[in-house]
Amino acid sequence: MSLRRILLASHGTKGARAAERAALNKAARAGAEIVHLYVVPDFWAGMKGDDWLNSPTARNAFGDYLEKELTREAEAEIDRLNKAAKERGVHLTTHVLNGDPADCLLRLSADCAPGLVIIGQPRPKGETGYNSRMKPEPLLRALACPLLVVPRAS
Amino acid sequence: MVYTHKNPALLIIGIIFFAIALLTGMGMLDGLIKAIGAKKYVGEMIWLGYIFGIIGIIVGLWHWLGSHEEGDLDYYLSTIAGAAFIMLVAMIIRWFVAPWVATMSKAIGPVMGAKYLHQVLGLNYVVLGILAGIIIVNTVGVPKWAQNGVRLSRLGLKTGVILLGTLYSLAELQQLGKLSVVLIGVFVLGSVGLVLLLGRLRGLPNNMTGVLSAGMGVCGVSATVAASPVVKARAIDIAYTIGTILLWGVGCMFLFPIIGHMLDMGHVQFGAWAGTGILNSAQVAGAALAYQPDGIETLKVAEIFNITRVLFLPIIVLWLALWFVRREDNGEQVNIGQVIVQKFPLFVLGFILMFALSSTGIFAPPQHYKGKYFDNNIPESKLLKPEEVAVLKAQFDKVKKEDRKAALQRLVDNRKVMSRQDDAILRGLNNAKVLDKAGNKILKKAHKSVRHTAKKIKKFRQWITLLFAFGLTGLGMQITMSAIRQAGGQPLVVGGIVGTLKAVLSLIVILLFVHETI
Repeated sequence: MSLRRILLASHGTKGARAAERAALNKAARAGAEIVHLYVVPDFWAGMKGDDWLNSPTARNAFGDYLEKELTREAEAEIDRLNKAAKERGVHLTTHVLNGDPADCLLRLSADCAPGLVIIGQPRPKGETGYNSRMKPEPLLRALACPLLVVPRAS
Repeated sequence: MVYTHKNPALLIIGIIFFAIALLTGMGMLDGLIKAIGAKKYVGEMIWLGYIFGIIGIIVGLWHWLGSHEEGDLDYYLSTIAGAAFIMLVAMIIRWFVAPWVATMSKAIGPVMGAKYLHQVLGLNYVVLGILAGIIIVNTVGVPKWAQNGVRLSRLGLKTGVILLGTLYSLAELQQLGKLSVVLIGVFVLGSVGLVLLLGRLRGLPNNMTGVLSAGMGVCGVSATVAASPVVKARAIDIAYTIGTILLWGVGCMFLFPIIGHMLDMGHVQFGAWAGTGILNSAQVAGAALAYQPDGIETLKVAEIFNITRVLFLPIIVLWLALWFVRREDNGEQVNIGQVIVQKFPLFVLGFILMFALSSTGIFAPPQHYKGKYFDNNIPESKLLKPEEVAVLKAQFDKVKKEDRKAALQRLVDNRKVMSRQDDAILRGLNNAKVLDKAGNKILKKAHKSVRHTAKKIKKFRQWITLLFAFGLTGLGMQITMSAIRQAGGQPLVVGGIVGTLKAVLSLIVILLFVHETI
């Protein structure tokens, strides 16, 4: 069976970058396209709710600033991956979703019907980064295609 | 965008409130109310039940069956569903769950002196309300139809603080103001400076150190929100800092009242400690009400500290802005006037206005402002009876603090509370539950004989309590575990060191230098 579409979940961590390399290699070999998922985790929704002392101006300034920061982060990752895909001659489209990472992956997987889903090994505890690991159990139960978890060291 | 959800939820909430009011008024809940010991809430259950019942039913019918168009009416009325949802949770906790927890706890018997488990753990309607909010948002989630209104909890808290302005005397405000400026000045500036130092020693990026110092030093999440754009904090710095502050704040809200009870702290001492040592401003109010659920003295002190903290915020933001500009190329020059105007908490003006109005005597009969709200010129019938004096005398040895001993001695000698200062000290003794149940009941009676609160002030107190219960339950609904889980990395280490130092050192200073009365 030929591989036509790979769904890659990546947001720039060490494990995700290993997954990117694996996805690009596979896609280049099989002539498949990559559907890239970038998730803005839903914990951000709970990150300013406890602020009640500030004026609306200060709160809006923070909201605008945070939105810009998250956009800048996302754009940097998406640009980097786009460049890498272009160099390898791989067609890549990116979807930016907000929510629980595993839910977003399942949602996008249902929409784009990939032949393979690739994710990176979770970040070990103690390493800098958001605590929004993708739980493998829901993926294993619900995905309709193989799931490849790429080791960070690869 | 149309904000109103076509949903019967608000109508159902209205019917529930109405039914509670109706059934309570008809005496059909008497058995339940007696069993859980909620008799003191009967009046509130009726009038508040009818108010929210009628509003809920009328607006709820419009939500469910009306046609909604984009506009101000849709936006503002859509918030009522969320507000009613918070209110329902808060009032079910206040009227039924908290009294039931207290009854169960009393059945176990005293666990620390004359204190019951729920008193030691501070498990009253405020803490249980916050807990209920946290449980709801982290399990079933806040329903979509309520999400727009849950943000109104901020308004509830700010209104509560503004109304609190009616309860201070000029002397109280002067004394508490001085005390809070000194303590907050030392500990806020000290912790901001310490985080900046530790950040440099541990090689943290300037943006991370900057945002963390504001959050750890001033007023938690509010300061993080105010300082992040100024120090160009990265998203990960913000996530780490807010996660750490929430984790620390929620932990302190439970821990501080327990320690306060163990150390028999007075209202002023505990309010000052919570206001200085707890990182996040919302949890300061929660801890104060957890420590003294049946009175407002601790909250009054803690909120003065909160207000002082928030007044320090523009200064800290300016400091960090200048600090950042000196260290980073991408630091922007700050407009001092703009920072002060943008960061100044306008609701503090409301607090000052209410205080000023209250000082004119507008809320109480004139004699209340000539000292009659405290009046120990009481008739024989209101003096303590000899057998009540005997109960107090028998427990004299239980009292360890000198000022409490002296005030109790004067009460025993004169069979009445002799001064405002004694009244405050004996209220502290009552709250500390050093004496047994009978002894505390006598202290309460003695207080009631000399203290006459004006009707309007009583109403303000009731509304303040309700507004804080509403606001804090709503804030609980915005504390997610996924946000708390972001606590980690160097901010957790630095925050842990600075937070612990601040809590411990402020406790020592307060125990040594702050007395039970002001």
